Amino acid sequence: MANIFPKWTNKLPLRVLLGAAVTVTAIAGGMTYYFTPKYTRAGYMPTQPIPFSHAIHAGQLALDCRYCHSFVEQAAHSNVPATQTCMNCHSQIKQNSPRLATVRDSYTTGKPIEWIQIHEAPDYVYFNHSAHVNRGVSCVECHGRVDEMAVVWHDQPHSMSWCLDCHRAPENALRPVQYVTKLSWKPQDIGREQKELGTELKAAWNVNPPVTCVACHR
Amino acid sequence: MKRVFQHPTTAANPTGRTYWRTMGELNDTPDFRDFLSREFPAGAAEMETDGLSRRNFLQLMGASMALAGFGLSGCRRPEAHLVPFTKAAEWQIPGRRLLYATSMPRRVGAMPLVASTTDGRPIKNEGNPLHPASNGASDGFAQASILDLYDPDRSRGLLFGGKLADKAKFTEWIKALRTEAAADRGASLAFLVGESHSPTRERMREEVAKQFPSLTWAVYEALQAENERAATEASFGSKTVKVVPRFAKADCILALDCDFLHVEDFGLEPSRDFSARRRVEKPTDTMNRLYVVENRFTLTGGQSDHRLRCPASQVGAMAMALARAIQTATGNAGVADALGAISTNEAQALEKSLPWINECAKDLVAHNGTALVVVGPYQPAWVHALAFAINGALGSYGKTLAVMQTQARPAESIVTLAEKIKAGTIKTLFISGSNPAYDAPSDLGFAELLKKVPVVVHLGSHADETAALAKWHVPAAHFLEAWGDDRSTDGTYVAVQPMILPLHGGISEIELLAHLAGQDAVEGPALVKETFKAQAKNPADEAKAWNDFLRDGFLAGSAALDASSAFASGSAKAFIQANYKVEPPPSESALEVALIPDYSVHDGRYANNGWLQEMPDPITKLTWDNAALMSMATAKKLKIRTSEQAEGLEGAKTRTKEYQPRDGQGTGVWGDMIEITVDGRKIKAAAMISPGHADNCISIALGYGRTHAGKVGKDKGFNAYPLRTTKAMYFLAGAKAVKTADEAYLLATTQQYFNMEGRALVRELPLETYRANAGFDHENKSFVQKFGMDGHIPPGVSLYPNPPLTASQQWGMSIDLNTCTGCNACVVACQGENNIPIVGKEQVRRGRVMQWIRLDRYYSSENADDADPQVVMQPVTCHHCENAPCETVCPVNATIHTEEGLNAMAYNRCIGTRYCANNCPYKVRRFNYFDYNERPLDKLRLGPFAEKGMAETLKLSKNPNVTVRMRGVMEKCTFCVQRIEEAKIAQLRVAKGSNNTKVPTDTIKTACQQVCPTESIVFGDIHDPESRVSKLKALDRDYKMLEYLFVKPRLSYLARLRNPNMAMPGAKDIGQTSLKDMHHQDKHDEPAKH
Repeated sequence: MANIFPKWTNKLPLRVLLGAAVTVTAIAGGMTYYFTPKYTRAGYMPTQPIPFSHAIHAGQLALDCRYCHSFVEQAAHSNVPATQTCMNCHSQIKQNSPRLATVRDSYTTGKPIEWIQIHEAPDYVYFNHSAHVNRGVSCVECHGRVDEMAVVWHDQPHSMSWCLDCHRAPENALRPVQYVTKLSWKPQDIGREQKELGTELKAAWNVNPPVTCVACHR
Repeated sequence: MKRVFQHPTTAANPTGRTYWRTMGELNDTPDFRDFLSREFPAGAAEMETDGLSRRNFLQLMGASMALAGFGLSGCRRPEAHLVPFTKAAEWQIPGRRLLYATSMPRRVGAMPLVASTTDGRPIKNEGNPLHPASNGASDGFAQASILDLYDPDRSRGLLFGGKLADKAKFTEWIKALRTEAAADRGASLAFLVGESHSPTRERMREEVAKQFPSLTWAVYEALQAENERAATEASFGSKTVKVVPRFAKADCILALDCDFLHVEDFGLEPSRDFSARRRVEKPTDTMNRLYVVENRFTLTGGQSDHRLRCPASQVGAMAMALARAIQTATGNAGVADALGAISTNEAQALEKSLPWINECAKDLVAHNGTALVVVGPYQPAWVHALAFAINGALGSYGKTLAVMQTQARPAESIVTLAEKIKAGTIKTLFISGSNPAYDAPSDLGFAELLKKVPVVVHLGSHADETAALAKWHVPAAHFLEAWGDDRSTDGTYVAVQPMILPLHGGISEIELLAHLAGQDAVEGPALVKETFKAQAKNPADEAKAWNDFLRDGFLAGSAALDASSAFASGSAKAFIQANYKVEPPPSESALEVALIPDYSVHDGRYANNGWLQEMPDPITKLTWDNAALMSMATAKKLKIRTSEQAEGLEGAKTRTKEYQPRDGQGTGVWGDMIEITVDGRKIKAAAMISPGHADNCISIALGYGRTHAGKVGKDKGFNAYPLRTTKAMYFLAGAKAVKTADEAYLLATTQQYFNMEGRALVRELPLETYRANAGFDHENKSFVQKFGMDGHIPPGVSLYPNPPLTASQQWGMSIDLNTCTGCNACVVACQGENNIPIVGKEQVRRGRVMQWIRLDRYYSSENADDADPQVVMQPVTCHHCENAPCETVCPVNATIHTEEGLNAMAYNRCIGTRYCANNCPYKVRRFNYFDYNERPLDKLRLGPFAEKGMAETLKLSKNPNVTVRMRGVMEKCTFCVQRIEEAKIAQLRVAKGSNNTKVPTDTIKTACQQVCPTESIVFGDIHDPESRVSKLKALDRDYKMLEYLFVKPRLSYLARLRNPNMAMPGAKDIGQTSLKDMHHQDKHDEPAKH
């Protein structure tokens, strides 16, 4: 009886295995790169040049976000405060703390502090803070509970689909304007459910988040 | 309903007037047919071989891709930093625009502007709407000045003998000079400066002159209004008056070689006021009438109702004939006086034109009190004086003409300065705002003279031709970098405020003068403040007055006042008689050469500006070059060949082989190189046919052929200055032109491609016809809406679902063809607003010009032999079709419709198939064939092997609100979506917790609309019945381009009206072209009715 399988088939299992290994590695590599939170930077938590704790300032001391991020209601950018803003308090409080040396140096020399950027929209995305915070979308929706972060991390994925989730169903995020910077606020605090409150606000405020490309890409 | 397309054939009506855009199209040359048969023009779709074949290129690309792959997987996004201020700056909000009032110093008077800065960088200029002489509009030069500021070729340091020098050395030298000059009271000191209306400069001149009373102060501009000034002085007996036309009050205007719609020469008011009187919204509205006598088509000629072709040198003879006719009709003593006993030799030139002149005169006389005769600044002084007399006879003074006060500015001429240099008295010469080595009259030999002066100090933004001959070169500050002041065209005192510290350490002219006057420590603001005090007549609250001045940008109530001087016919008569001179009409053997200002570079000062170089000339559509313009008849007589002749010479069929441009370069536009000789002075230039040009005349624009301009302006076009002498500055008689041996020159025009095949795209009709057919018919269609195909093709039905246009505000645009002058301001404004790159001459030749809005210029005429065509301008930009054909063919959904009716582009999705561009009936989509932003334009084809990156300064110039596109991406007009979104978000900030989200009516202006001096472009919400755009779209002049395609464009046009005087010769043909097309189609409609 002639051989059913020609001789080259001897090496077939090896080749299949090899092929499978390459494919699996490629897929695994691709998944690791593109589909892990690291791709969207969620969880990114760099060490800042100054060990500034939002948990202390925004949490314990309950400073309003807008004390430092002063132009968030007026501009597309939410500005990082000038050194001067830090010194408003720290020229009187903890004047000699070694942890604030960099701030004092910056203030006296005029050399700016180089904060490490955590949230970064690509250049072709024209996100506008003022359009959101003025219309009842809280900081917490995109940045998480910054008031509980000793070191700030990138909390949400900030991918386009994540943006669209909210633009398609804004009722899940709307809250009365006065509570926008109160990160711990819950609709239950005023005896409401988010869905019901959000739907009501959406109708009353004529909220129509755009979902076309030009809303963010120009 | 079945749509029956019964297109009447053009051949059925050989006598009908047709619209055409090039001579080639009209004559149906083989070149032109070749052009049309290509999918893209002239090799636009081919990869050419500039030292790199396609195969080669792909191999190399593959290799570099593989290399790039190594590094890919390891990298995440690099660490980025946020760098805040240490101390917050007042008013600065990161990312928000800050507006400051300033003004742009110009030769005829400053243009009031509002500069917008983002994060400290000025990125856009707009007109200052508060200023009385501005309606918030500006022009192309004001728009392009932003690019001048960031020009990477600007000089970056103080040069001594061509080498970088220390500023301290210069200061020391100035000190030494002051002691030296004091010895001879400044007799060895001279200044050559450009024209300026700045009171501070005048004050500083006086300061310097006080210390050095014998100094020479000369003012020179290549294009000057000195003839008009001389005539005014003679006719009004005063050096401090100026005659200002009031177009708003004129019903009947005659422009004698006067391109008053050219903003650089006349300012904004003539454009604004003239167009305001052509805004017809209902049949009872009146409209002014414009007669034009000119040698070549200008913007003004394009707007004319009646136009007479006439060599520039014969315009005086025309004026004389007109004066006679008016004198006969009115018996006005003033005109009779002026004519006196002059014997004229103009009969020859007038022969054919006399009926035209006589009828025009009758019409002017009939409009006594509302008539106006204006003369171009480059006509001889006696013509101006004669026009003053004619205007007197027409009762224009105090009505359509104002005599205004102006300031006397004592200055020598460049001729006097040249004599002093020749005599050897000048030891130190300061040159500022002037480039005499390039543009001084050639008989002065100024470049040689400069070598005789021991020390020349040049203050200039670029190391130009003059800087190359100067010992010291001092970088000048741009007007957006320095303090200053000026007067606008109406005499209002305006502020020039800096927006940014000098990028390259430049100083301003007034600071240099202050330095010379020994005021070392005094800086710009202090100098201006000092002048301001005097101008504001020492106000009580000085600080407040100063702040108001800076905030508004001008001093209220400081406009020029009416002068008491009146026209003195006696002295005018003597002046005319003394200066009267009419050259014999030009002939084939003695041609006339007219040296004309250029619409892109003016006299050469804007030569290094890429936006302006690439801006097509409004008439010839020529980019990157100038050319010797002539009529077809003249070219034939002189045996000069161009791409636009149907047949070659002596019956030879088109061009011979040696004129074929390089293989694969396509055909396109070219012309013979010709040598023009006047009195032994020669220049070479490329010939180009310009329809409507006077015969036996050549006009050539000044400002090209710069040898030291910078990368953009160097060696572009042909320098015509060598022909110019102090005796003949503007038109030169007795010229010869011969074609040089078998040398053709390739020209880059934007004229031939994007052709629309002669449908009723542009519609015009005489005013009377419009009045007779006003209103809408039973189908709610107006007369204008039934022109062309729209007259017989039944309304369409779409197979595609309409996009959901659900938003409460729907954007649309209306463009009034009746007021659009075609000035190109919109093109440049759009380029600045939307970060549109320039592509270079070679790419323009391939039809790859990137401007999002273009101006189509149509000639219309009876037939090819008609040397007197009419011109219609039509701005075309994306029509934002509701049934957009581009959207249905995009395989990746990169172009989509928004709920607000915008046809949007998502650049990131675009894969560059170009299907959308192919399917666009309006041809408004632009493709990035190369990385125009990142690669040098002369090395585009080297792809990744050319150096990459944008000059640092150019990065600063980009509008941060608009993506900078890369290679392989389609782009087009977005209706300035960034402005729309900004306005919507601004409204959200107002709305907060309320439903007040509607953007208030007419708050959004697109860049093209904002810049338009004639308010021809109107953008807004078409769902809002109160918006201006809704009201315009409801007019019976409103029509949509290619409406029968049923693409439902959001952009519509208001038809052009002409206001012919039926008594004029040829009046029955004026504005008839579209009508004849329609009547002719009516006949063919018959079989379609079933």
